Amino acid sequence: MKRLFPILLTVCLSLALAACAAEQGTAVTETAEDEAVSVQVFAMDTYIDLTAYGPNAEAALDEIAGEIETLDGLLSVTDENSEVYALNHADGAAVSVSETTRSLIAFTQTLSAQCGGALDISVYPLALAWGFTTEDYRVPTDAGIADLLALVDESQIVVDDEAGTVTLPAGMEIDLGAVGKGYACDLAREILAEYGVEHALLNFGSSTICLYGDKPDGSRWRVAVQDPEDDSTYAGILELEGCVVDTSGGYERYFTDEDGTVYWHILDPETGRPADSGLISATIVSESGLNGDALSTACFVMGLDKSIDYWRTYGGFEFVFITEAHEIYVSEGIADSFTPVYDYEDAEITVVSQ
Amino acid sequence: MKTKTWVLLIAAVFAVLCGVSFALYHIRPQSTVANVYQDGVCILSIDLSAVAGTETYTVTDEDGHENTIEVENGRIRISEANCPDQVCVDTGWISGSLKPIVCLPVRLVIQIESDPATEALNLDAVSG
Repeated sequence: MKRLFPILLTVCLSLALAACAAEQGTAVTETAEDEAVSVQVFAMDTYIDLTAYGPNAEAALDEIAGEIETLDGLLSVTDENSEVYALNHADGAAVSVSETTRSLIAFTQTLSAQCGGALDISVYPLALAWGFTTEDYRVPTDAGIADLLALVDESQIVVDDEAGTVTLPAGMEIDLGAVGKGYACDLAREILAEYGVEHALLNFGSSTICLYGDKPDGSRWRVAVQDPEDDSTYAGILELEGCVVDTSGGYERYFTDEDGTVYWHILDPETGRPADSGLISATIVSESGLNGDALSTACFVMGLDKSIDYWRTYGGFEFVFITEAHEIYVSEGIADSFTPVYDYEDAEITVVSQ
Repeated sequence: MKTKTWVLLIAAVFAVLCGVSFALYHIRPQSTVANVYQDGVCILSIDLSAVAGTETYTVTDEDGHENTIEVENGRIRISEANCPDQVCVDTGWISGSLKPIVCLPVRLVIQIESDPATEALNLDAVSG
């Protein structure tokens, strides 16, 4: 028996060690299959954090990062070599631009017409006047606003696909910032599909988040909707997969004047002043990033009733709206995916149906 | 001792060893680490849970940018910066892993690795 003891002990120790090694072994195999790769890009006036899983993740993300930089090179309002910069400084002349730029402008024109001008890319000179682009905030005079508003009307832009040109009326300036990230999401989704990537989370500075596929463990992604009045906490949690989540809120960029009035950066193209629609947060869940990005801004400007009317007319997306009175309105398609948390746990939730 | 006793004893040792190896593998220390990245390279790592009082760090780059980072127990912020837009300073304190502090003109990012609140809710991202 005394001889048996060391043998048995050795067997047990090696079994225990094997158990330990097996644990790590499993983890290693999991990583090989679902290895997370992250790439960060500084572009489109934000910090973009891209994470994808699987063997082709790295190659796919590198290509996506390259596409984002190319797109930023076309759409940047400050880059003197960009197409948008050329358009904004053409003084009424036609400018040859890429098909991407033409199609993005045409897309916003259609959407702008559908939502009664709540989204208008030509409101950019007003954003400049309020200092939202430079953080050099100021309240423009009424006369100043009126002068600039006279130039706001993106339906005046002529997109000529045959000639490959775009013509802005003299004095008009545009910013495609409201659709750039969404369009980048859609490009990224195509690239991920080409590379056979099944799971990815693409986070464009929190304002546009692409949930590609489900999580590597087969569960849905959990995305918190920020509490519009306290950026350290959340209003609710969405459990989703295979979609783009886009939230617009006043808190992203704002300033307070000496009287304590808060001015936020989303301007109503009709008044030239910060949107005051009664909504303090508009989240759009959409298959198309382009649609979601544009609509979160448009709905924030339109307010609750017009946004619901728009949704009933055109559909194609789901929403979570939070009003000044802290009521939550969720469209029926994602009502089961949304859970209010913290200060909103007892908030009144209305499920909106078609 | 009888063979049966030995077997039981060794089985017990085996069970304990398994338990220990499992615990070592799964239980990680509760700490909140903030990493500071300059142009994608991690230049500073601070264990926020080990900070008592207030600590400050200054990050500079070749272009003359200067960001002052202030750290307290469990939270971090950029208290001063000479960047044009001041977005990093306006971000204020962060204690969660989902929203980094970003200074775009300086390509400086402060990212918390993980935090208890985010883990409790099992969140992947914040939309806002």
